[in-house]
Amino acid sequence: MSDEAHIVKSYEEELQNLNDSLIKMGSLTESQLADSMEAIIKVDKESADKIIANDAKINELRAKIDNQIMTVLVKRAPMAIDLRITISTLKISHDLERIGDLAKSVAKKIKPLPHDLPKELIGSLRRLGDLVQKQLRNVLDAYLNKSKESAITIWKNDEQVDDLTNTAMNEVADFLGKSKKNLELATHLLFVTKNIERAGDHITNIAESLYYLIEGEYLEGARPKGKDIEKN
Amino acid sequence: MINNKVKIKTTNLNVYYGDKQALNDVNLEIHSKEVTALIGPSGCGKSTYIRCINRMNDVIDICRVTGSIEIDGNEINKKEIDVVSLREKIGMVFQKPNPFPKSIYDNVSYGPNIHGLAENKVKMDEIVETSLKKAALWNEVKDRLNEPGTSLSGGQQQRLCIARAISVNPEVILMDEPCSALDPIATAKIEELMDELKKSYTIVIVTHSMSQAVRVSQRTGFFHLGKLIEVDTTEKIFKNPNNKMTQDYITGRFG
Repeated sequence: MSDEAHIVKSYEEELQNLNDSLIKMGSLTESQLADSMEAIIKVDKESADKIIANDAKINELRAKIDNQIMTVLVKRAPMAIDLRITISTLKISHDLERIGDLAKSVAKKIKPLPHDLPKELIGSLRRLGDLVQKQLRNVLDAYLNKSKESAITIWKNDEQVDDLTNTAMNEVADFLGKSKKNLELATHLLFVTKNIERAGDHITNIAESLYYLIEGEYLEGARPKGKDIEKN
Repeated sequence: MINNKVKIKTTNLNVYYGDKQALNDVNLEIHSKEVTALIGPSGCGKSTYIRCINRMNDVIDICRVTGSIEIDGNEINKKEIDVVSLREKIGMVFQKPNPFPKSIYDNVSYGPNIHGLAENKVKMDEIVETSLKKAALWNEVKDRLNEPGTSLSGGQQQRLCIARAISVNPEVILMDEPCSALDPIATAKIEELMDELKKSYTIVIVTHSMSQAVRVSQRTGFFHLGKLIEVDTTEKIFKNPNNKMTQDYITGRFG
């Protein structure tokens, strides 16, 4: 990283604006994810509409960031750390957008739910949701502080997300096994669980982009995988 | 042991203009049949460096050069070296195109003539044609070889100078900001030419354009205040340089 400022002040401002947009996008995504988890657990159908509508704000920010990045590329031909900031910001913004989409997908599953969630399924789903939210918060903090160590920790912690996903999926499968009447609710919950797990994958992508931004090298080695989880 | 890929090797190269030290212990290896870009702020020593390679600094009375400059393992920084035959091996192209006030043909035949490379007119015609073709200028000038070199456009003049440089079968081509006086199209033609020329020649280019260094070179050296701060693959230098000073320079944080 460099603590020196650019000779050209407007270049400095452009990178700062890019950083500000990403942080704004990050916090918006964080609250969308939190709201969707809260709403699914409470089967709060009113909040669902608000969450679905709010996703457009995240998409707008992504479009804004795309534009800001094209301007920087064409005006500045960024090099070294500036190039890595620009490219990593582009990648991170796209991962945030996908997390936003997944939060929206979770919200979309709330309305068709036939009734409240059975108590035995809430525990694992909440634990998974809490962990993924914590991962997102941590990766955004790590981005703010440009912390390589945090990026590595977050990257490794996805294994826990995979394990919790596995547990939650198994519980839903058991619930389904009890009665055919559970089919509709169980199907929705399987999608919800999978969506949360995929949000976790995008968070590890962000951790990888952040590591590359800081170090100029890719995180090496295979990420530890949770048990029995098929990635797609 | 000498790496057989190394064409030019300077060891503890120091250059003084009177009391002023222009280069300070420069250790640099230039790889064969690659383009090496030298970058750095004005006055950092990059032009001084390439002028050592063909002993151009000899013409400056107050200039003193110490240390070793080897080409293919042979020391060239010693009095006994015949600089004329050295410069036959090492061509140079300058910032401003500087064709001789002669015809296009004579500009290219001049070098082969004084070095006695052509025994007759047929052979000379062949050298002139080949050189102009290698410099990607033949098609544009083949019907006007007797016109003055100075009648060409700036970009064509620069390619004429490149043809003149390669007419004597050099091994190394030194280029000191060869595109800084050219428009983007003429620049693109020179850059395209460099891609082609590097298959046969070792090229060292001094440039102030970071983007050009990225586009044309395989290795890049960054000079600052007479010192070689960092040299590495161009990709490494422009994506993730090791030295903070290199990064601050290429990202426009000091100059």
